[in-house]
Amino acid sequence: MPLASYAEVLDAVRGVAWPALRRVRTTPVGAHASVVRGTTAEFLEYRPYRQGDDPGRIDWKLVARTDRVFVRVSQERTILPTILVVDGSASMAFPEDTFAKWQHARRIAIGLAAIARHRGDPVGLAVALGDGTIRVEPRTRSTVIEEMMRALDRAPGGSAPIARVAVEALRLGARVVLISDFLEDDVGGTGGSAVLEQARIAAAAGREIYAVHVVDRSELDPDARQRLVTDPEHPQVRRPMPPSVRAEYVRRFADWRSRLARDWRRAGAVYTMTVPGEEPLRRTIRRITAAGDPGGDV
Amino acid sequence: MTLLAPLFFQAALAVAAVVVGLHFIVTRQPPSSALPTARFVPPGSVQVTTVSRPRDLLLLLLRVVTVLLVGLAFARPVRTPERVPHARIVLADVSFAIGDPTQLRDTVRALLRPHDVLIAFDSGARMLVPAAFDTLTPGRADARLSPALVTALRAAGELRARADSIELVVVSPLQASALDAATLVIRDLWPGPIRLVETATREPAESTAGVAVQAPPDDGVRIALRVDTTDAGVRVVRGELTADDSAWAATGRTLVHWPASGMPTGFQPRSQPDTAGAVIAGDDALVFPLHREWQQADSSARVIARWIDGSAAALERPFGDGCIRSVAVPVPERGDLVLRPSFGRLAHTLTKPCNADRIGPAIDADTRSALSGHGPLVHRDAIPAPDNVVVPIVPWLLGAALLLALLELFVRRGRHSVQEQTDLAPMERAA
Repeated sequence: MPLASYAEVLDAVRGVAWPALRRVRTTPVGAHASVVRGTTAEFLEYRPYRQGDDPGRIDWKLVARTDRVFVRVSQERTILPTILVVDGSASMAFPEDTFAKWQHARRIAIGLAAIARHRGDPVGLAVALGDGTIRVEPRTRSTVIEEMMRALDRAPGGSAPIARVAVEALRLGARVVLISDFLEDDVGGTGGSAVLEQARIAAAAGREIYAVHVVDRSELDPDARQRLVTDPEHPQVRRPMPPSVRAEYVRRFADWRSRLARDWRRAGAVYTMTVPGEEPLRRTIRRITAAGDPGGDV
Repeated sequence: MTLLAPLFFQAALAVAAVVVGLHFIVTRQPPSSALPTARFVPPGSVQVTTVSRPRDLLLLLLRVVTVLLVGLAFARPVRTPERVPHARIVLADVSFAIGDPTQLRDTVRALLRPHDVLIAFDSGARMLVPAAFDTLTPGRADARLSPALVTALRAAGELRARADSIELVVVSPLQASALDAATLVIRDLWPGPIRLVETATREPAESTAGVAVQAPPDDGVRIALRVDTTDAGVRVVRGELTADDSAWAATGRTLVHWPASGMPTGFQPRSQPDTAGAVIAGDDALVFPLHREWQQADSSARVIARWIDGSAAALERPFGDGCIRSVAVPVPERGDLVLRPSFGRLAHTLTKPCNADRIGPAIDADTRSALSGHGPLVHRDAIPAPDNVVVPIVPWLLGAALLLALLELFVRRGRHSVQEQTDLAPMERAA
């Protein structure tokens, strides 16, 4: 995809807010509410003075009026380092003629990165490909989005180490977005997934986790002309697909998706399933970011 | 052509039909397309079976022909011979007892017809082509009817396919000695009458009156035999044998080499000379301590007298038309042994003409009646089919089937390699 074509993506996400789900523990000044109470102009509340408080924060006018000593508490604003993990395995190279899943995944990644960076958050990227992992370290400078666009200008394929990359990101990022079809054995919500377990720990530690599930329409409703299907990541998985088993396939796939969504949500992640071409990109981005955005657009 | 075991060929036809049917059934994999969520498709066979026109006709032909050849081999095809109403098995006696060979040949020739079977027998039996009988002359073996009957039964099993009824004819002098304990039992296996054609019997040889002894007048053997002839059918030589003696024996007479001293023909010195208490020849026995110096050297000779311990005391071997007999029984010069009747009987036995006792009496009327039996000719169905029919074409059929199987293997491998090359071609083009 040429870099210029991302202009449409950047236009689509203009004005979309992506606030943090909860107050952030970092200290650098940014756009997200911090857990630290400070002395900025954004007043939050008064609280009684306690020994050790800075006397300079005492509101003397209030003392004169009430004869009691209160301290002025204000809201600090901070940044939220965001890492996007994009699955570049062979299953994302589907359908074979359009690579719609891969195209959709990287448009979402660029869109979310642009929103975060627009809010002053450092954004990074990890693309798990069959022939290795491409990383863009979290930065706030303006060229980081362009670096990410170049990193995503690859063709997916092979068996990507998505699980390992995702676990690394969950350990490092304050906000981690996994964009995948979750068909890798260790990534899918199969109960014993290492990624899911790591996500559960990270969420408990206060990190924000977003699971963006990319599903193609052909996977939801396979072509009726297909008689034999092969898993591109596991060629040994060859299954006949006569019309008699289509209903059973649809049922099994739906069960798996609902189980996957349930497991990720139970782990504390924001789970969003998206189908390429089903809806405008802006709507997809807003569905992803809406979990922490009470007001929607800014 | 007839199949001895047609079920095998019918089974082969069924198998061939199955093979043809299987060639119409084509199992292949449909074209595969990628689907990342293929794991959610219920597992099943990825082969698709369709019915279509067979493509590999050469393989089909090879397989069908191979199966049919194997079935045909196991079915054992035999050529159906031309059947005649009446066939004859002629048992011709060619033993020593035949008195007139010409009469025997004429009799057999009169009996034999093109489809008949001729079996010549003496102590054994063998099937002959009728034309070979003209060159056959009676031998020196005794007649034995039992093996001849067994051979006739076996021949009847093969002849039943070519004749509606079978007659068994025995052409023989019908000596009683030709029968043994099993003869009548074997005869009962023949389910019909046996036609007995009696031929002339050889005349018995002359008695001891025709014995000449070449020895001094006081020789013990001469005294015991009480003969004084110089020219007779039997010559007893008490000294060394000469070429003249051998030539004389070859003319059909009996030469007895009974040396007064020295080694008899066919004997060798005994390693440890000893004394034996008796010697036995036929029904006669001489009980007397005799010094033994010689032991048998010619193992092919017939033993006609034995010492009490079983070792040979006198040997006989055919020589020309006659025979030479060697006697290793010493005759003491002293004492009255040669005057004893037992020694005389022994000497007479040992100087009998060759084959003097081989011409015995003819079989009696009761035995003849039991042997011939009565009733109609034997129908072919009364004779059991032979258990083991040799079908010469079977090895050829099996060999051809094996050859075709190997050919099928090569053709199949060739097809596979061509298929693989065809499969690889698009990839090579892409590369």
